Amino acid sequence: MDIKICLIGKGNVGTSLIELLKEKSEILNEKFNLNIKMVAIVEYDGALINEDGINLEEVLSKGERFRELPYWKVDSKPTDLYKKLDINICVEATPTNPNTGEPALSHIMEALNNGINVVSSNKGPFYLKYQQIEDLAKNNNLIVKYEASVASVVPALSIADCLIGNQITRIKAILNGTCNYILSRMAAEGITFSKALKEAQELGIAETDPTLDIEGFDAAGKLVILANKLLGWRKTIKDVKIKGISKITPQTIELAKSDGLIIKHLAIVDEDELIVEPRLIERDSPLNISGTLNVMELQTKYAGPIVLMGRGAGGPEAASAILNDLINIVKKRG
Amino acid sequence: MTNLEVNIVVKLPDTPGTLVELISPISDNGGNIYSILHYHDKKINNMIPVEITFDLNEELKDISLEKIQKELFEKNIPIDKITFGAKKRHFVIIITGHVFDTDVLDTIKRLAAKGIKTKELQAKFTELEEVSNVKFKFEVPETIEEKEFIEELKKICEEKNLSLIRA
Ligand SMILES: NC(=O)c1ccc[n+]([C@@H]2O[C@H](COP(=O)([O-])OP(=O)(O)OC[C@H]3O[C@@H](n4cnc5c(N)ncnc54)[C@H](OP(=O)(O)O)[C@@H]3O)[C@@H](O)[C@H]2O)c1
Repeated sequence: MDIKICLIGKGNVGTSLIELLKEKSEILNEKFNLNIKMVAIVEYDGALINEDGINLEEVLSKGERFRELPYWKVDSKPTDLYKKLDINICVEATPTNPNTGEPALSHIMEALNNGINVVSSNKGPFYLKYQQIEDLAKNNNLIVKYEASVASVVPALSIADCLIGNQITRIKAILNGTCNYILSRMAAEGITFSKALKEAQELGIAETDPTLDIEGFDAAGKLVILANKLLGWRKTIKDVKIKGISKITPQTIELAKSDGLIIKHLAIVDEDELIVEPRLIERDSPLNISGTLNVMELQTKYAGPIVLMGRGAGGPEAASAILNDLINIVKKRG
Repeated sequence: MTNLEVNIVVKLPDTPGTLVELISPISDNGGNIYSILHYHDKKINNMIPVEITFDLNEELKDISLEKIQKELFEKNIPIDKITFGAKKRHFVIIITGHVFDTDVLDTIKRLAAKGIKTKELQAKFTELEEVSNVKFKFEVPETIEEKEFIEELKKICEEKNLSLIRA
């Protein structure tokens, strides 16, 4: 079966997806009788277009100079392409504007309006307009998936399908690798917040402007998606009580330590509240993970806690989650 | 953590050194002893009734008690009576900001008025203008729900511009 997809945003995640599709094309064909044809790769200033499927190897070999390829069309916009190319699934992997969700929100809504299923690694649209997106998809009989947007490859959202017979009542999670790295380093070395942040920036873990991470906004966005998907809530990021980690001092951490406690930046769904804030946890808690890892502890009604842990970021990790979503959409559509 | 108050009455011979025989099985098995009463006026045949009160971690209560009973029995100290008192929940909370300048005694008293006891307080100061990090250990009676206790604490912290980190 031929499936036509377009990719919007050829950055870290987008490029990893191209690599993964190239690597997996044979297996996808053998195992799922699936021939994924990437017919457009859209950037902010134009798109690579080939109705018969872009040669992924050629795009990869060009690296950053992919705009030199003969099928690069300046100023092509996703909306122009949706109808023309008969696309089945649109993959959204552009950066998030935290206040508007754009340009991804428009990309997604327009795709759904044009009868195209959506896979997104971009969380912005979902913590701002979850209900509208899901409603539009449902009304148009389409599927929208966004596994990569929360904890990347960790099946934070797909776990819902494995727990249909159970009921998730509470969630405690670490959803931001940067904050966890900083707090882990502060605890291990007794260094200040600013020193740990600088170290994270030098290692490329923290962004040059780390505000969204350290003030808890990034984790809050992911928490909203978790609560909506796993507990059926209909919240937006405005509903989250958010506190960052920038005021944590080595002294605070030391005081906690002397009681066998650790300070972690937790994202919590409890009763009717969504909270992101520093919390004390026991040293032997499953939430006590170090470095940039992500973790989720789901309290379930019939089976107690279930814990998922893994890498919450990285291009190949996100790409594999996207491919998973793509395959699942195809499976559902038969 | 929730602790349970346990009260045990035994009879000990009125000879030096016997008290430690009673104490060690309890403290070795997680009991936090806080009162020992000798009833000299009720001495019979050189045996004095002794009442010892201690806390046990509620989760480990059954295992701990079984071990305590067994070890006392082996030491020839049979238990006359066991009674259980109130459950006491302990919470560790770290409060940061001008904790002392905003009248820490007032904070403690206001909580005490609600039945919340401050059992321990440990402070560390930062270089920043008298900002302190203070770890409190509170004992909260069963009648007050955790949520209620946190709300009460939050109210005081908001008023005094302090931040709190809880479990
Ligand atoms: N990286 C990860 O580990 C990870 C994991 C999970 C989810 N995500 C999410 O996935 C998305 C992509 O992340 P990333 O790391 O790949 O970011 P990135 O490296 O910055 O890539 C984003 C790409 O989108 C392009 N772009 C910007 N505006 C566009 C527009 N209007 N139309 C089309 N393309 C546009 C960018 O072009 P220019 O660079 O030329 O502006 C860039 O090539 C983000 O929403 C991120 O939060 C990332």
